[in-house]
Amino acid sequence: MNLFGMLEISGSGMTAERQRAQVVVSNMANAQTTHTPEGGPYKRQLVVFRAQRQPQFPVIMLASGGARSGGAESVRVQQVVADKKPPLLRYEPGNPDADTKGYVAYPNIDPVEEMTDLLGAVRAYELNASAVQAAKSMIQQSLDILK
Amino acid sequence: MPRSMIDSPELQALSRFLDVSASRTELITSNLANIDTPGYRTRDINFRQELERASGDGEFAYADFAPAVREVRGLASRPDGNNVSLEREGLLLAETQLRFQVGVQVLQAEYHRIVSAIKEGGS
Repeated sequence: MNLFGMLEISGSGMTAERQRAQVVVSNMANAQTTHTPEGGPYKRQLVVFRAQRQPQFPVIMLASGGARSGGAESVRVQQVVADKKPPLLRYEPGNPDADTKGYVAYPNIDPVEEMTDLLGAVRAYELNASAVQAAKSMIQQSLDILK
Repeated sequence: MPRSMIDSPELQALSRFLDVSASRTELITSNLANIDTPGYRTRDINFRQELERASGDGEFAYADFAPAVREVRGLASRPDGNNVSLEREGLLLAETQLRFQVGVQVLQAEYHRIVSAIKEGGS
């Protein structure tokens, strides 16, 4: 019986969703950023989630009693990639970032898209938080057997 | 030979029941954690089958007990290949939690019976 494995898995979900929310708010904050250290406008960032086999830490303990956790997978952010959409060009000849024709490249960020992504991340975070509550109450009940 | 009260078949069956319930809850949390992972497929164990396997004849080998995890069929996939259903997992989480609670309560009652016998019926 691996009750603490549940906490780890749900925790990994919470971490991944928080990272996703972080990337989304960074996109929103930089919706008008035309200058970056890499040069050019800010590029919209996207997270890539990946399922990951639970690291079998308690193997030694399990060998002497308790079931192996079968096939449960946690989640992690594998990488953060830049969106390949071309930047939006606006005619602003006075802007120091304007090119020779007077166009400024702005990040191609759609606030509606970002807001829905943020809501998705928040809901998924809540979901994992309630799974943590469930795991916690199961652990508490197991402790109550001793009373 | 008088049957042992501490290690009765009922207690062993209960502990297996709790084991299978915990394994299943772990899979449900795994499904929920991967609700946004592209290509992830919902997994589950066949509760009845695993419980029967765990409670089968002879000695129960804890070290060998690894529930058979299967991909759940018949769920609608999203365009990214993920087929985790929030409703299914939410309901199963609640159900498995209640099952676990039932197991714990019965186990507790069983232990209280033993303690009561040890104390010659006194509390």
